[in-house]
Amino acid sequence: MTGRRTRAPYVMAAPAVILFVVFIVVPIGYAVWLSLHAMRVSGAGLGIRAEVFVGLGNYLDAVKDTALYEAIQRMLAYGVIMVPVTMGLALLFALLLDAPRVGGKRASRITIFLPYAVPGVIASLLWGFIYLPAVSPIGAAFKAVGLDAPDFFGDVSVFFSVANIAVWGSVGFNMVVLYTTLRAIPKELYEAARLDGASEWRIALRIKVPLLRPALTMTSVFTLIGMLQVFSEPATLRPMSNTITQDWVPLMRIYQQAFVDNDTYLGAASSVLLAGATVLLSLAALAVFRSRSARSER
Amino acid sequence: MRTRTKIVPTLLLALGGVYAVLPLLWVIFASTKSSDELFTTFSGWPSFNGGFTENIAALSSYGGGRFWLWMLNSLIYAGGGAFLTVVVSAACGYALAKYRFTGQRLIFASLLAGVLVPGITLAIPQYLLLSQMNLVGTYWSVILPSVISPYSIYLCRIYAEAAVPDEILEAGRVDGAGEFRLLWSVGVPIMTPGLVTVFLLQFIGIWNNFLLPYIMLANDDLFPLTVGLYSLLNRGASQPALYTLVISGSLLSIIPIVALFLFLQRFWRLDLVAGSVKG
Amino acid sequence: MRRRTFLVSSAATLFLAGCGTDTSGGAAPAASPIAGDENAPANLVFWSWAENIQRVVDVWNQKNPTQKVTLSGQAASDELIAKFLTAVKAGNAPDVLQAEYQSLPTLITNNALQDLTSAVAPVKSAFPDGTWNLTSFGGTTYAVPADVGPMMLFYRADLFEEMGLEVPKTWEEFGALAETVRKKNAKRYLTTFSPGDAGWLAGFAQQAGADWWTNENGAWKVGIDDEATRKVLGFWSGLVNSGAVLGDPMYTPQWNAQMNDGTIIAWPSAVWGTGVLAGVAPKGKGKWKMAPLPQWSAGENVTGFWGGSSTAVSATSKQKPQAAKFARWLSTDPEALKVLVEIGLYPAATLGQTSGGLDAAPEYMTSQPDYYESASQISKTARGFSSWGPNTNVTYGKFEDLLPTAVKNKADLAAVATQVQQASVADLKKQGYQVVGG
Repeated sequence: MTGRRTRAPYVMAAPAVILFVVFIVVPIGYAVWLSLHAMRVSGAGLGIRAEVFVGLGNYLDAVKDTALYEAIQRMLAYGVIMVPVTMGLALLFALLLDAPRVGGKRASRITIFLPYAVPGVIASLLWGFIYLPAVSPIGAAFKAVGLDAPDFFGDVSVFFSVANIAVWGSVGFNMVVLYTTLRAIPKELYEAARLDGASEWRIALRIKVPLLRPALTMTSVFTLIGMLQVFSEPATLRPMSNTITQDWVPLMRIYQQAFVDNDTYLGAASSVLLAGATVLLSLAALAVFRSRSARSER
Repeated sequence: MRTRTKIVPTLLLALGGVYAVLPLLWVIFASTKSSDELFTTFSGWPSFNGGFTENIAALSSYGGGRFWLWMLNSLIYAGGGAFLTVVVSAACGYALAKYRFTGQRLIFASLLAGVLVPGITLAIPQYLLLSQMNLVGTYWSVILPSVISPYSIYLCRIYAEAAVPDEILEAGRVDGAGEFRLLWSVGVPIMTPGLVTVFLLQFIGIWNNFLLPYIMLANDDLFPLTVGLYSLLNRGASQPALYTLVISGSLLSIIPIVALFLFLQRFWRLDLVAGSVKG
Repeated sequence: MRRRTFLVSSAATLFLAGCGTDTSGGAAPAASPIAGDENAPANLVFWSWAENIQRVVDVWNQKNPTQKVTLSGQAASDELIAKFLTAVKAGNAPDVLQAEYQSLPTLITNNALQDLTSAVAPVKSAFPDGTWNLTSFGGTTYAVPADVGPMMLFYRADLFEEMGLEVPKTWEEFGALAETVRKKNAKRYLTTFSPGDAGWLAGFAQQAGADWWTNENGAWKVGIDDEATRKVLGFWSGLVNSGAVLGDPMYTPQWNAQMNDGTIIAWPSAVWGTGVLAGVAPKGKGKWKMAPLPQWSAGENVTGFWGGSSTAVSATSKQKPQAAKFARWLSTDPEALKVLVEIGLYPAATLGQTSGGLDAAPEYMTSQPDYYESASQISKTARGFSSWGPNTNVTYGKFEDLLPTAVKNKADLAAVATQVQQASVADLKKQGYQVVGG
């Protein structure tokens, strides 16, 4: 690390900083600007719309928007399933991959990772075909043994159906991250325990998992962010059933405001709020994980 | 005894593999079916009536070979975008890791915050901005916003910090090497495994991106696969013959990513993502 | 330090430039009539979602080598309008746009469409008055009608015969028939009530005599929660909640399968439905027939519209005369009309509904040789709303959110009309419109 005065770091960072400002900071600023404006009609009949400054009017509307709160509740219900299942499965598979005497590791690792390569829109479409009773192979299997096909779009089951698509797509990635981290852990740390006759299960829980904590923290935070930004799965499934509405999760609600109702301004206000909430929540999550791992290290 | 495979863990892992692969099997089966078989024959088993070649042929001829154009576009967006990301992020990450300079903390903190902003928030402002630069509806409108990836910079910083030893840099300086020369001939070679990881992650990210190209592009000759297949799917609602095209197209669209992953998997350093690189 | 100033100032420039675009949308280019030579060389961009419309464009390009039209295929959805509006704002909209009738007001009030009154006046007589009114607002014409979708009832003639069913003439008969079907064969349903298609519902409401929007001296009156709409919703409510008809959405893989395998044996749709059936239910070729939509009282003869679209010119196009010429040609030229019919659209122009291409029934409807003759008869009985409201998108969105949920919960669908009415009125008021009544 050098503290010498040189222009070099500025030049090296410049392209990234310029792009960051142009494509992220300025758009955010513009979104904020939009959120303070609105289209209002003047003239009789159809009239003509013009952009006017409305101050915090859009924010008031966004805060009073019950549809947004319902969307947040559904997102949380979805997240309560998606985040633990994704992380749990990823951890389980990573530990299995790292354990001795488990067969078919290479093939399993690749197949479990594969879904990550499938775009969310396409993954949702595939699962959609599998969920719809009249075309579902699962439904056909149930009928073949004389049972009613399960309803994947029921009031409760729909949360599992949507979460399943996200879990399917992201377990592999998180698994590989955790597994690669495990492999970087020096073997000596648990060889001793193994020689003492500790079971693999015990080694995994007592030695490996604590060592994985920083990696688990990061992957969990990213999974949480993924939960907050869930969009393409429910949006793709929506036209297939009566259960998923156009405003099912927060981003769908924002999308609806901006693209269906043509109210970019209200959409901007809602998304500024959501982005703010995301930042706060992520920081809070990080703080919690940090304090926990700090405590466990003591 | 010692080499015997344990049954329960192996089975668990295999179950995970089955879970991951089942929907993909469904695509493979479905892609073998002609459009009147798709919804009428059992979907858990392939058909062998030449449906597959028929579908690929129909897909290839759709809109005068548009599908292959989409595939090529996806490769351009993902390949070009990921390459530029690596260049930009490597330089920035290296600078953040290996120098102390005014504004460093601010840059790093803003980048981290940038990870948290949902893409949909930025989509419309980015669109208006790019159209102001006369770039909307061009390849650049998809590539440029993808190049800036706070996450990639973060990874590069971590990797540079852990992998590039200060001593070598100092030795280089004593020998009179310039800072950029050091980045190029010391930093980059050492960072290569990390950069490959960044490239792959970014490649997959752009390949799978839907919203950005969907908003930026109106001309279907420029669509990447995701948007192209989505537009086919939308029409498929009233022309189900197109469903079979979407399904075969989905299958084909996964192949390049899988190939890339298999090819580069020995170079991955995914533990990077977890931020736990040990020198 | 210098570098930082550069960054800040360039960011500021970009930011201001970004904001600047908004005001350009606020200017009023749309009001001025078109000036210029419509035969001058041009390079037009055309946004459309119609399947195979490229064939019509090809005909044009062959005949007008100096005025090239480039088609850009779009996904047909509500998002198209938002995308177009954003493009207009950003100054890179296409020259010509295919727009559904109900989305015209939104486009007009956002100043996104060119006033075509004088440019298309010569072809006004080619259309029935009612159709022409779909694209004219307050005496100004903003688009040329291209195709229309008068509603009719498609049914599986073979299965009707096999099960001994009569084609229903009234909705009452339709309801009774739905129950009969369930009793005769538990696997079959007469039809599905798809709650997520507000445009479809609008067609039923039109038939029942509703007027969702009327303009009285500049103020809007919203009539969604009126007797006619409630009657329509109440009728379907009874059928869906008793299980006599399905309540699943249309246009899903499941619906396709059910239409194909005879689970669903009738489909209230529009004249373009044949094209959909051909794609959805290939097995039903030659087995479907078409009849007028059931009526609310015996002896009546009315139907509504579902879908249909017009061709509009963007307010920001730099080649408006040529664009208007193309829009006019697309809807009125005999050759263009012929291809429109071939690709499954039912032309809005009178000539298109009576001329050549329509002698023979569509290939799929061999069971009904007089298909187009009947369609033409039915088309004359179609009744639209007196006007589309300026917030059709919001209203449709509300219906499409509330109805599916109501169907799922087996709630009273008619109550949804009240909720949508309230939401629609509140939205109009918020936007700054005068609203009379509630």
